[in-house]
Amino acid sequence: MQKTLLELSDLSIKFGGLTAVNRLNLKINAGEAVGLIGPNGAGKTTAFNLIVGVHQPTVGKVIFDEEDITGLAPHVVCRKGIGRTFQVVKPFGKMTVLQNIMVGAFVNTSKKSEARLIATEIMEKMSLQGKRDYLAQNLTIPERKRLEMAKALATQPKLLLLDEVLAGLNQTEIEEAVQLIKTINRDGITILMIEHVLQATMAICSRIVVLDYGKKIAEGSPQEVTSNSEVIKAYLGDEYENADS
Amino acid sequence: MTGININKNSVILAVLVVLLLLLPMVVTKPYYLHVIIICLLWAYLASCWNIIGGFAGQLSLGHGIYTAIGAYITVILFNTFGLSPWLGLFVGGGAAILLSLMIGYPTFGLRGAYYALATVAISEGIVVLLNNTGSIGRFTVGGAEGLIVKSVGSSAAAFQFNSKIPYYYIVLIMLFLIIFIAKWIKESKLGYYLVALREDEDAAAAMGINVRHNKLIAGAISAFFTALGGVFYAMLIRYLEPNAIAGASMSTQMVFLAIVGGSGTVLGPVIGGILLALISEIIRFYLGGQLMGLHLFIYGMIVLLMIIYQPRGIIELFEKIGRRFSRKHNDEGGRSGAEDPSGA
Repeated sequence: MQKTLLELSDLSIKFGGLTAVNRLNLKINAGEAVGLIGPNGAGKTTAFNLIVGVHQPTVGKVIFDEEDITGLAPHVVCRKGIGRTFQVVKPFGKMTVLQNIMVGAFVNTSKKSEARLIATEIMEKMSLQGKRDYLAQNLTIPERKRLEMAKALATQPKLLLLDEVLAGLNQTEIEEAVQLIKTINRDGITILMIEHVLQATMAICSRIVVLDYGKKIAEGSPQEVTSNSEVIKAYLGDEYENADS
Repeated sequence: MTGININKNSVILAVLVVLLLLLPMVVTKPYYLHVIIICLLWAYLASCWNIIGGFAGQLSLGHGIYTAIGAYITVILFNTFGLSPWLGLFVGGGAAILLSLMIGYPTFGLRGAYYALATVAISEGIVVLLNNTGSIGRFTVGGAEGLIVKSVGSSAAAFQFNSKIPYYYIVLIMLFLIIFIAKWIKESKLGYYLVALREDEDAAAAMGINVRHNKLIAGAISAFFTALGGVFYAMLIRYLEPNAIAGASMSTQMVFLAIVGGSGTVLGPVIGGILLALISEIIRFYLGGQLMGLHLFIYGMIVLLMIIYQPRGIIELFEKIGRRFSRKHNDEGGRSGAEDPSGA
């Protein structure tokens, strides 16, 4: 049996009267790639923020690598082995690409030379070596997305949370990014990704979880999920529920 | 190319150091030497502020409290117990660290202007306290009249010299020390962390950086060395006046000099400190007696123009000139230099 890396049990958070994430249960095995989809405002990013400790859950638990990490501060969660990217990318604009990645590498070493070594390796993997000495603020959008992933990877996580890293890319760039994410996954890093580009999500993920109004409404293989009537209803509205029949 | 550059830079540096060491032999008039000492002290203080204000981007508008706490504690210990200022400065510096942690702990967890506001509020409070405290028990604080350092004649142990020359060398060593520390921080993990959290706190935290902890460390280092600057000032002037040592002018001056010189760089605040303090002193010398406040007005105009036309600091101007110079001598010297933010 596969080892469970991340387990969410009854994870919930209320902002005033709004329940943004409602009793979310989810198990992710080590080595898996799981997609998290759902309409805008379904609570996907909030779920990420609950996992990494940006928000404290009202109820529920986050178990990572057999350890309860519920409510730990973001920097502690990162050091436990969870890397995350931001939907709106957050490069350190006044630092070079290499320096940006080195910041992440410093999680596992205090030596500058070692950090540079780790960062250089990741920079090459993410095809950013040509931009090594460019300031992050001068990068294009696709480069910024790759840098965002590189920064998270530099912390050498066991689990990588990707928040819409494909949004805003064109078809070719998406295909390149998909290959990149597949390589990262094949190298042994478990992936949980929020994505609106369904085709790409299906290409990467073996399992997809669908959120709507903070609740999990479906879970399964890409085929199962896309033919699920609840999912179609959530995305397209009530009248499409029986469109197939 | 870099090899040649490093060599060229170290030659320039060596020449500069030798010139600075020989300076008192050329400048023999005490007044001129005093002006130079003050300029170097401002360069030192601006560099101290730069560690928390520039590297970590936390706008402290009350660094005068650290010069004050360092100076007052050292002087009070000296006046009361005869404790050598060389030892007293560690007590003063330690107190400054404690104070910086007390201000930083509650405010560094918050976003936005809270830290800046807290520093202003506390420094204003401390000025009022100093102005209204004549003595605490057997310790004479001096109140608004100020505190005079007990004179013992020329004595190295008491940090008192009749000649300006020892002060010059002491402040020069202090300046080299703070430049060295700033450079070390900039190149270390701490430096990377400080710039990262300055650029984006959320992204920094997501990459394993304990934001508050690192700000507190930077704040404590900055406070300690600022306090040493205060001690030096006290022993140079031998008179402490609350508004001068703790007041808004002391606090804001450090910020001005660092920003005008180039905050967040190692040498920017040094250049800003020396240049602006020199300009200010020259204007005061020529215009000080003529119309009340005219020299301050002109000084303010110069600062204003520099901020408008050179917002990233004078250091950037120097880098541009340096780059053009090296490009002329070397055809390939374009990109890496142009893209390197750490520069000086």
